[in-house]
Amino acid sequence: MMLKYIGNRILQIAILLVIYVAIVFFMLHAMPGGIKTLLISNPKLTPQAQEAIIRAFGLNQPLWLQFVDYMKNVFTLNLGISFSYYPTPVWNIIAERLPRTVLLFTVATLIAFFVGFASGKSLAWNRGKTTEYVSTVVGIITYTIFTPLLIFVMIWFFGSFLGIFPLNQFLNPDLWIHTRLNAQIVFLYILMTMVIIGAVMMVSYLMALRFSHKESTKKMIFYVSTAISIVFALFLWVVSPIGIYGADILWHMVLPVMTVTIISYAGNMLVMRDSMLETIKEDFITTARAKGLPDKVVRDKHAARTAMLPVVTNFVLSLGFVVSGGVITESLFSWPGMGMTLLDSTLAKDYPLAAGALIFTGIFVLIAHLVVDIVYAFLDPRIRY
Amino acid sequence: MRPILELRNLKMYYDTQAGQVKAADDVSFVLNEGESIGLVGESGCGKTSVSMSIMRLLPENARIISGNIFFDGRDVVKLSNDEMNKIRWAGIAMIFQAAMNSLNPVYRVGDQIIEAITAHEPNVTFEEARQRVASLYKLVGLDPERMDNYPHEYSGGMKQRAIIAMSLACNPKLIIADEPTTALDVIVQDTILRELEKIQRKLNMSMIYISHDIAVIAEVASRIAIMYAGKIVEMSDSVAIFKRPAHPYTVGLMSSFPSIRGEKKELVTIPGEPPNLLNAPDHCRFVPRCPFATDECWKAVPSYTEIESNHFVACFHPQNLKKRVSINA
Amino acid sequence: MMANNANMTVEPVEAKLESPISIRMKLMWRAFKENWKIFSQSKIGMIGLYIVVIFAVAGFIVYPILANTVWKTTSLNAMVSYNPVTGYDFLQNNPAPPSWAHLLGTDPLGRDVLAQLLYSTPREFMLGIVAALITVIIGTLIGTVAAYFGGTLDTFFMRLADIVLLFPFIPFLIVISGMMQVDLLTLALIIGLLSGFGGITIVLRSQGLIIKSRPFIESAKVSGASDAYIIVNHIIPNVMPLSFLYMMFNVTGAIFSEAVLSFFGLLNIKMSWGLMIYTADTAGYIIGSNIWNYWWLWLPSGASITLLCGAFYFIGRGLDEVVNPRLRKR
Repeated sequence: MMLKYIGNRILQIAILLVIYVAIVFFMLHAMPGGIKTLLISNPKLTPQAQEAIIRAFGLNQPLWLQFVDYMKNVFTLNLGISFSYYPTPVWNIIAERLPRTVLLFTVATLIAFFVGFASGKSLAWNRGKTTEYVSTVVGIITYTIFTPLLIFVMIWFFGSFLGIFPLNQFLNPDLWIHTRLNAQIVFLYILMTMVIIGAVMMVSYLMALRFSHKESTKKMIFYVSTAISIVFALFLWVVSPIGIYGADILWHMVLPVMTVTIISYAGNMLVMRDSMLETIKEDFITTARAKGLPDKVVRDKHAARTAMLPVVTNFVLSLGFVVSGGVITESLFSWPGMGMTLLDSTLAKDYPLAAGALIFTGIFVLIAHLVVDIVYAFLDPRIRY
Repeated sequence: MRPILELRNLKMYYDTQAGQVKAADDVSFVLNEGESIGLVGESGCGKTSVSMSIMRLLPENARIISGNIFFDGRDVVKLSNDEMNKIRWAGIAMIFQAAMNSLNPVYRVGDQIIEAITAHEPNVTFEEARQRVASLYKLVGLDPERMDNYPHEYSGGMKQRAIIAMSLACNPKLIIADEPTTALDVIVQDTILRELEKIQRKLNMSMIYISHDIAVIAEVASRIAIMYAGKIVEMSDSVAIFKRPAHPYTVGLMSSFPSIRGEKKELVTIPGEPPNLLNAPDHCRFVPRCPFATDECWKAVPSYTEIESNHFVACFHPQNLKKRVSINA
Repeated sequence: MMANNANMTVEPVEAKLESPISIRMKLMWRAFKENWKIFSQSKIGMIGLYIVVIFAVAGFIVYPILANTVWKTTSLNAMVSYNPVTGYDFLQNNPAPPSWAHLLGTDPLGRDVLAQLLYSTPREFMLGIVAALITVIIGTLIGTVAAYFGGTLDTFFMRLADIVLLFPFIPFLIVISGMMQVDLLTLALIIGLLSGFGGITIVLRSQGLIIKSRPFIESAKVSGASDAYIIVNHIIPNVMPLSFLYMMFNVTGAIFSEAVLSFFGLLNIKMSWGLMIYTADTAGYIIGSNIWNYWWLWLPSGASITLLCGAFYFIGRGLDEVVNPRLRKR
């Protein structure tokens, strides 16, 4: 049942992906002058280089043939050669930068989800108190604030006023100048650590579900194994010589993560609040109360768990919004991820890189969508077939 | 026989923007062990308010103004919420009005029943609880295999049976069945009610049935209390009420339901609107719709008179069979 | 007798008969009053409305007045003549903090910040409303047509909406505006077109499906109304409130997108709130510790964007309570 559902979703996403690439392709070709003009008007390229690119990518061919080629190229990750980093292939640049965006986005989104979920839950549960009013207003302000304005304030407050976080960049050059370490490798180690910790958490959660029926034992299994894995990972990092460099990268990540979190938590909070208020009125909540369950169990196990479903749905709908916020955030913090690449390459008229970045941003959104869909199916038994 | 539940002058009011709504006004009755009583009345007459008061599951704007609810000798009105949680389900269980939505859609049905068991009997292991659920499923006529299904995989009748099984999970002394079968079709309705009655007799539980359908209630409850606008207007054993209704409202209720057996009668509707409980007047509340009303009825609230043994009615002009016939003619 | 009777019944009716338009107007007025009552109880909606009205007055009334009086360029004295939106104030070092001459200071190019702010306001309104109108017109048409006819048409537009919904909107606009010259109207057109095929069609379609199942559609069909007539006269008026609600959210989206794009300097426009921040940013006045020393360069414009975006969003939330009775407080 579940596998069939997931298979279906993957198929649908694949179709959406093809359509998405087609839209991007034709949109770019619909521009006045087309790609060739952009290519020729780019001052960074010598006529020989232009000629080579035109030949390599068949820009003299009829449009539909170009499209077929382009499609083929996208799926073989052959996205052309960047104009501004000539002759680096676009895929190499994207492969370097995509993981950074994925990490930034995933961490921020997870935090935003849990913060939004928890605060929305308690807002609905403690209705009519001053805290409800204040948090709703703060939530709406952070939800509607112009992102650059928010970032200016963040930079000023944390970077300048408190002076505790670096203002921008991916790393501190003064520190890295004495080492021959490659930042990308260190970064990939960080990513790997996080993936492993995440996997441990997931496995221990499933184990807890399987091996115990007592709420308290379940929690213990989960928390203990999570804590052990985190402590172990921290120990390895502290001991290893690259520890300090990893810490430097993480240190630079704090403000961007915080910004993207603030951008996206409010939406989750407001939806959770509304959904929780609806759910509290449901009959099964009355049943749970009548069963003599403690208030906390009614709130967490029955109301919040069910009210969570619309929040997950809303999360899918807000993916585009959060990714857009991510682009602005990356650019303003000079965090060299996909968003910054996209903006920089656009400003440099580096068409292949811009198109590649746009396509991979889209792929990223689609995959995030797929992941959320699968999570949703686990959360809602009604959807599984 | 020992009384299991006693309501003494229960007053439960809602505070609304428009004013105070007297949902239950001076409601009193006694229910003995193993006995069943039916609360009958139109929607909005305060039946559910009474049952929610007994369970102490009131919405935020509702308050018990005065009165006592003695359950097993303890006044539940005075208990704290934590103490009340111990009585809920273990002492008083409930079968809810809307069976369709009474089960949480994201948990397995069996687990929701087990949850109730382990909440009250922490020493019961998971396996024991499962076994108990399985035997409850058999008791209510469900396949124990189905306990690992989710609510959406159940039909309406199955859900209702599962809820009955759930209500029995902690061996409560009293079960309140609030419109237990309204959402079901007539045939399923009948079977489930009969099974409920059978289980009640078998386990010697007390039972409060709540319904708008006096004919259904008369079949399963030994006594009936008729409610109108937050007050009990007539109370007696089912046979007496059915054969010799005394309050004009009961008479009206009786003739607004068709009977399967017996002669064909024209169905009579009770004229007028159901009462507005807002700012209740200090005279008989049925009087605007009552065909027998006199000046006296507009002046005071009638008190209970015992027109025959254990047959109470709150009316200045209790009807008897003879009079009713003459009016119908 | 019969004729008499007929006369008697016809005459008073004719006397009372109003033109269909005036009846319609009256009905609309009554519906408006009822909805206004619900809307005005929503605190957040009213706050939004106040903010929008203030901006509208500032942009459409205050600016023209000021431009023709205080800020009027006098060609006689060329040295002193100063156009606050485009000119350079030579009388001081720029950017200058707020003073009596420049209530919100001047930017690095010597232009008056307040004047720029007011000058841009009507343009922001135009952009937001044009884009939202296009979105709503497309969305309503597609949503109702898809709901009414169903089938392949329905499936096609819903799948399309799925994609548009997932579209990384801002990245896409960034690439487009980087590749071609985009001015305000083109931007409104692009935003309107793109989002017109998006989520709004899904919402309006499901509303359309509800209305389609109502009995009056069936009776209109039986009495021989054409499909187009039913859609235009019966379904669309009933989804209108929801369309209007989504229009408010789309105004927010459009203004926000424009601000982001001009903040990155990607738009081919003379002046806008986002561009004001861009100017200050590229001139190097918004860097780290500097940021609070030159607050008038980014705070007024940033706050204006936030407020106007927020205001339309608030109105949307307020309207939500009118359109969605479930959310209403009892």
